[in-house]
Amino acid sequence: MQSPFNGIRSVALTAAVMLAAGTAAYAHHGWSWTQDGFFELRGKITAIYIGNPHATLDVDAEGEAWRVEMAPPSRTIAAGFTEEVAKVGDEVTAIGNRSLEASEKRMKAVRLIVGGKTYDVYPDRVPPA
Amino acid sequence: MTEFFAGLEQLALARWLKASFIAYPVVNALHIMSIGALLTSVLLMDLRICGAFRSLPYAAFVALLRRIALAAFVGALVTGSLLFSVKASTYAAMPVFLAKMALILLAGINFFAFLRFARGGDEPAGSAILAVLSILLWTSVLFAGRFIGFL
Repeated sequence: MQSPFNGIRSVALTAAVMLAAGTAAYAHHGWSWTQDGFFELRGKITAIYIGNPHATLDVDAEGEAWRVEMAPPSRTIAAGFTEEVAKVGDEVTAIGNRSLEASEKRMKAVRLIVGGKTYDVYPDRVPPA
Repeated sequence: MTEFFAGLEQLALARWLKASFIAYPVVNALHIMSIGALLTSVLLMDLRICGAFRSLPYAAFVALLRRIALAAFVGALVTGSLLFSVKASTYAAMPVFLAKMALILLAGINFFAFLRFARGGDEPAGSAILAVLSILLWTSVLFAGRFIGFL
């Protein structure tokens, strides 16, 4: 019969191309998808999710719907930020790094301020005082 | 349907997985283990069907790997359903998740087509094309699944 390995070679090639493309598609993993400078977002919480696999806040900032990514839930809760300290409708200030994609309303927070309290979810990355 | 997914998220098991820093990574690891076993057994089985490793007896080799693949698929299905339940509505709305489900369906159809048409002795006629399709489909399932975490 005909060798099937041409087919297999094309599978490997497809896989390699997809892997290469995949490195550009980071969302909440790591910081490679964010800008270097600090970014501050103020708005109202529209949804709050503290749990596996990632904690997130949805924030309405002057009519724009933003997604704020937080640390893994263990770290977020260790910083004192739980579903008990904030609720939908609360004013929030999120400080962190926004997406490199300017059109994307998404950021990764290192510090959250709700109800006058500050939660440093990434204490090692917060802006210098 | 929306209510069904919201209901899934409210199950005691789903709520526990959402909050547990041990159970969730464990289920996640078991899902990866199942996928690893599934992809490896499918790849070896399909390569044998295509005519590789001819020193190994066709029927026994394919039967063994098919058994491993089916067991691994059940493992992936159970652990995958648990991971899904934590954020069911979110995943159900993701195009890449739906694409993964469609690819699994196609891989399943391909499997039954193989059982139906590729009969008669070792390396039956037409089986290589289905085997290559199987490798392509299962690899795509893996990639689509991994992208769920990044989109």
